Amino acid sequence: MNSSAASSPPLIQLEGVVKSYGAGSAEELVILHGIDLCIQAGDYVGLVGASGSGKTTLMNLMGCMDRPTRGSYRINGQDVTSLDDDRLSAVRNRSIGFVFQSFQLVPELSVLENVEMPLFYARVPRRERRRKAQELVQSVGLGHRMQHVPSKLSGGECQRTAIARSLANDPVLLLADEPTGNLDSRTGEEILALFAQLHERKRTIVMVTHNPEIAARLPRIVEMKDGRILKDSRSGSSQPLVAASA
Amino acid sequence: MAKPLAVANAGETFLLAFRNLRRNKLRTLLTLLGMIFGVGSVIAMLSVGAGAQAELLDRIRELGVQNVIVNSVRPPQQTRDEKSSQDSDWIDRFGLTDADRLRIERLCPGIDQLLSVNLVPDRVWHGSSRLDATILGVPPAYVSLFGLVPTLGRTLSELDEASASSVCLVRRSLLRKLGVLEEPLGLSLKLGNFPFQVVGVLEDSNYHEQTLAALNLEAGAHEVFIPHAASMRTFGNLVYKERGGTSERTRIEVDRLVAVASSADQVRTVARVIDAILSHGHEQEDYQIVVPLSLLEQQERTQRVFSVVMVLIASISLVVGGIGIANIMLATVTERTREVGIRRAMGARRSDILAQFLTETVAIGLIGGLLGLGFGMAALQGIVRTTGWKAEVGPTAIMVSMGISCAVAVISGLYPARRGARLDPIQALR
Ligand SMILES: Nc1ncnc2c1ncn2[C@@H]1O[C@H](COP(=O)(O)OP(=O)(O)OP(=O)(O)O)[C@@H](O)[C@H]1O
Ligand SMILES: [Mg+2]
Repeated sequence: MNSSAASSPPLIQLEGVVKSYGAGSAEELVILHGIDLCIQAGDYVGLVGASGSGKTTLMNLMGCMDRPTRGSYRINGQDVTSLDDDRLSAVRNRSIGFVFQSFQLVPELSVLENVEMPLFYARVPRRERRRKAQELVQSVGLGHRMQHVPSKLSGGECQRTAIARSLANDPVLLLADEPTGNLDSRTGEEILALFAQLHERKRTIVMVTHNPEIAARLPRIVEMKDGRILKDSRSGSSQPLVAASA
Repeated sequence: MAKPLAVANAGETFLLAFRNLRRNKLRTLLTLLGMIFGVGSVIAMLSVGAGAQAELLDRIRELGVQNVIVNSVRPPQQTRDEKSSQDSDWIDRFGLTDADRLRIERLCPGIDQLLSVNLVPDRVWHGSSRLDATILGVPPAYVSLFGLVPTLGRTLSELDEASASSVCLVRRSLLRKLGVLEEPLGLSLKLGNFPFQVVGVLEDSNYHEQTLAALNLEAGAHEVFIPHAASMRTFGNLVYKERGGTSERTRIEVDRLVAVASSADQVRTVARVIDAILSHGHEQEDYQIVVPLSLLEQQERTQRVFSVVMVLIASISLVVGGIGIANIMLATVTERTREVGIRRAMGARRSDILAQFLTETVAIGLIGGLLGLGFGMAALQGIVRTTGWKAEVGPTAIMVSMGISCAVAVISGLYPARRGARLDPIQALR
């Protein structure tokens, strides 16, 4: 693992990332205090920590929804901190897949159309877009629900749709913020199984979870507290990785 | 930089826009109403304006844009005074003379034709029925100049003029009023005491007020056209009228001169020169110059001011419609904040969001413009039917209104759309 990290840049590399609100003013509110984090391609990382510890904030930064106040963020070696809004949009479109706790599907659009959305913004021609979206919807087991609108779907089906959508442009990084938070445990397990499958196919995943049981199953756990990384450990072989930044 | 997606994918963006509009049918309809009334009234007003303009034009064309018409008129101060009423042989003399005509011919450049008209107010008899008429002795050129084309029979010819034949052109209504049932061509009518043969029948005149004034005609006057030479030979230029026991005799050598300028640019100069020539030798104002072209320009000016004011007033409703769009779009953007967040997270750029909302307002503009066009034309029909005005919906009116409605839609949609595009994606997803 370490040897491969030396030869090629890590997929995700955050160095001294600080996020604060109201920077420069007297009441500057620092949410993230210098985060250092490396994620190699194919890793499956669980992000845990108390509520308000800054997990979502960190996910937003990694997903290029937001820019760090200080520090650098590299994806595949390319610094994205200085990109303008349009370029950040392009990065989100091509390289990131989001899965949210509350699904975030457009209620007026069908399952198929929701899945098509990232392809639309990637300027994929209509026909191909349709074909690809159908494939994706089928792959998450919703072939019989393609024309349904989200309000006619169960929570699990909604989240499957969202996962299919997140995979549309074949992103290098999947970011899932409490993807099972709104689901009952059985449906949650189905979604987790889906993620496990994706992990087997070498997809890089970062998942926020509040559930210690779920976290325990993941190969790597990053624990946050008050805007800092408290612990970064590998389970199974249970060898701790990089020491937590202090 | 790649062009905005909405442009690359205009068809689909439009489809999406229509879908969103359909989702809120009532709201869309109410928003559309504003545009419909706005565009409709602008179209109606533009068309009424254009119609008035067109009517003005053909009203003046009736008189000929290249013509300068000089009428003999009774001078204002010359009323029948003591002396004349005592003297039974007194003859009123005023107006244009043959000498004037010669001077104009000799001195005024830029005239193609100079036509004299002899007006004789007299009665037309058919058997025992009679009718007051205006008999015009005119050269053949006059007939074609004023477009007097008989629908039956023939027009006055050079030969008629040269031989001063007793032939006439009459209006259809004159025949009707006289109770002529038989074939009118070849019919002999008595003009005053003299038999004239009908050689052609003209459709009834439908002169505009202005034309009547310029030609010294009363509404509903019955015109009878005869060769100028025949009128001079038969009636001369002495008019004898009996009114309430007293008789009145007037001699006007030339009742009317029509000068045809060689081009429209010359008309004003010709009029000025004629006026200058006539002002010598006419101490009293016993002639009047009518320049149809000047009338046209003068009235066009008033007409244009009127049109502009009307369109401005109509535009107010368009502005109100625009405010309606802005209002609805603001609500839409607020409602769809989450959707904006989702789209941004999926990689939509600000410009994509902007284009999406703008497409929706343009769709409103287009639909509103089209429906407004329909409404405007319907309203116009109503206006035309009730007022009898002329109105024209020209291609310009259509293009202008569609352009305006789209412009109004874009302008009023711009702020809401920008607001949507500038939403912070993280906040929007909350
Ligand atoms: N726009 C903002 N302005 C000010 N403070 C913010 C803003 N966004 C987040 N915060 C604060 O940052 C802190 C971290 O929030 P964040 O959402 O990252 O926590 P979290 O770890 O995801 O919590 P949870 O487990 O409840 O989702 C919170 O205290 C929150 O109030
Ligand atoms: Mg959170």
